[in-house]
Amino acid sequence: MIEVQHLTKRYGPVTAVDDVSFRVDEGEILGFLGPNGAGKTTTMRVITGYMPATEGQAVVAGHDVFTEPLEAKRRIGYLPETPPLYPEMTVREYLTFVARLKIGKITAADCAMRVDHTMKKTHVDDMADKHCSKLSKGYRQRVGLAQALIHDPEVLILDEPTAGLDPKQIIETRDLIKGLAGNHTIVLSTHILPEVAQTCTRVVIINKGRVVAVDTTENLTHQLKGAASLYVQIEGPEEAAAALGSVPGVRHVAETDRHERWIGFEVEAERDHDVRRAVAQAVVGKGWGLLELRPTRVSLEQIFLQLTTEEPAHSAADTPAEPTIGEAAHE
Amino acid sequence: MSSTFRNISTIARKELHGYFGSPVAWLMMGLFAFIFGYFYISYLDWFVRTSMSGDMGGGMQPMNVNDRMIRPLLSNASVLVLFLLPMITMRTYSEEKRSGTIELLLTSPVTDVEIIMGKFLGAVGLFGGLLGATLLYIGILFVYGNPEWKPIVAGYAGLLLMGSCFISVGLFISSTTKNQMVAGSATFVVALLFWIINWMAESSGPTASAILSYLSITEHFDDFARGIIDTKHIVFYLSFISFGLFLTLKSVDTERWRG
Repeated sequence: MIEVQHLTKRYGPVTAVDDVSFRVDEGEILGFLGPNGAGKTTTMRVITGYMPATEGQAVVAGHDVFTEPLEAKRRIGYLPETPPLYPEMTVREYLTFVARLKIGKITAADCAMRVDHTMKKTHVDDMADKHCSKLSKGYRQRVGLAQALIHDPEVLILDEPTAGLDPKQIIETRDLIKGLAGNHTIVLSTHILPEVAQTCTRVVIINKGRVVAVDTTENLTHQLKGAASLYVQIEGPEEAAAALGSVPGVRHVAETDRHERWIGFEVEAERDHDVRRAVAQAVVGKGWGLLELRPTRVSLEQIFLQLTTEEPAHSAADTPAEPTIGEAAHE
Repeated sequence: MSSTFRNISTIARKELHGYFGSPVAWLMMGLFAFIFGYFYISYLDWFVRTSMSGDMGGGMQPMNVNDRMIRPLLSNASVLVLFLLPMITMRTYSEEKRSGTIELLLTSPVTDVEIIMGKFLGAVGLFGGLLGATLLYIGILFVYGNPEWKPIVAGYAGLLLMGSCFISVGLFISSTTKNQMVAGSATFVVALLFWIINWMAESSGPTASAILSYLSITEHFDDFARGIIDTKHIVFYLSFISFGLFLTLKSVDTERWRG
């Protein structure tokens, strides 16, 4: 449905997007993930025909965005980072204008019906006759979404659709987006990771203008897991680390936290080795207390940090990308 | 082709809605009507007093309302337009760029030309409305006097054409900046330049003088105010407008590439 090939966008000497290629199949929800300034917005702006690419091409529903812009644009609904609202219009007037702009030939009755329907769908009907300037952030965002949906486009491009919403609205918006998949092909960008895990079928991770990973959410988690790792909490002495390290199949042991009575370790095993039994035996055999033993799941956050920072993941907490984790954790 | 007109009209109506939804249009109408009214009263007062003293002297030809009243009134209005139009055009593109609504327009299935024409016609529509409001004053003259209507039509056509020139310049300048104030001031300066250019013409050599006074937007208006519709002035105005709109198109296109 969407085909992006070798897309490059330069602003003078700055390369914002560098040779990005990916495709989105019909009915899919693709998550476009990356830190701020990675090139997400630029890529989306090229796909929507807002700006031309320096090199490469984007094809939407069979129409090249550069050579057949009108045909492509007719099939795209786009929610930019800031919802493009006119403050002096009421929500109804605004959506009517957008409907006329996007559809062109439409009767007044049909237009009114569409506007009503879309307002209901995006839960903004209670604000229909309020001026856009009077709307709260949550409503602005949803009117923005309504604007993108009004002409029932095949493709939806949403730039951070849940930014600035409260938790309840975020859940509603996500459900709405999930409900739209199937009939629409959706690309949504975000820097909030759980959002991707919850809504998207596939993920494109982009960093510094380059695609660093394209895969399904699950595959990405598996692939990057590398070795299975365990969290072990032991009531025992310091040398427990050495004892754990000598268990066959264990590749690496690192202390993660420590308390008066116990020490926590991160145990990394070789690929395809289940070392849980051996680790438990080793601990119990020494007469130490085994307080906790559980596999640690590599989360999307860790993957993201691994891919978007040059340092290994465990030191990633010190990198500037840290707020991303915080934001995700607070969700 | 009909879709082009439909898109242009959609955008033009949106522009008008924007003007009348914000204080801009009302403020401008008030200002224009007030100042125009002031000129009107002054000329009327002068006209009535001089024609009365003329009558008392006896033997003089009755004074012509068109020549002595409407023509200077419209000339003054043309200067007023110079001050008011930057206020109309400054927001056209700048405001959309600042608030991000330009992203909606540029990602909709409409062409740049349609957007520009829509914005241009919206602004011309508002300006036409301003002019229309002043017809009330002229109407009063018809009630109490006997002016000729043809020179008045010519004068108003001239004002509309001259205003459209300033609008096309303003549109272009607005398309180059996000800042309304910058757009407004720059438009005013440029418009002023085209107004005073024939002062420079007076003090320069014959060739330069001819060129400069040809370029002066207001110089071309004089004939219209006199009630003369000359194709050479119409051609000048129309080419000026086309050039302004062409520059706007180029500017929008360049901005697109620069992002």
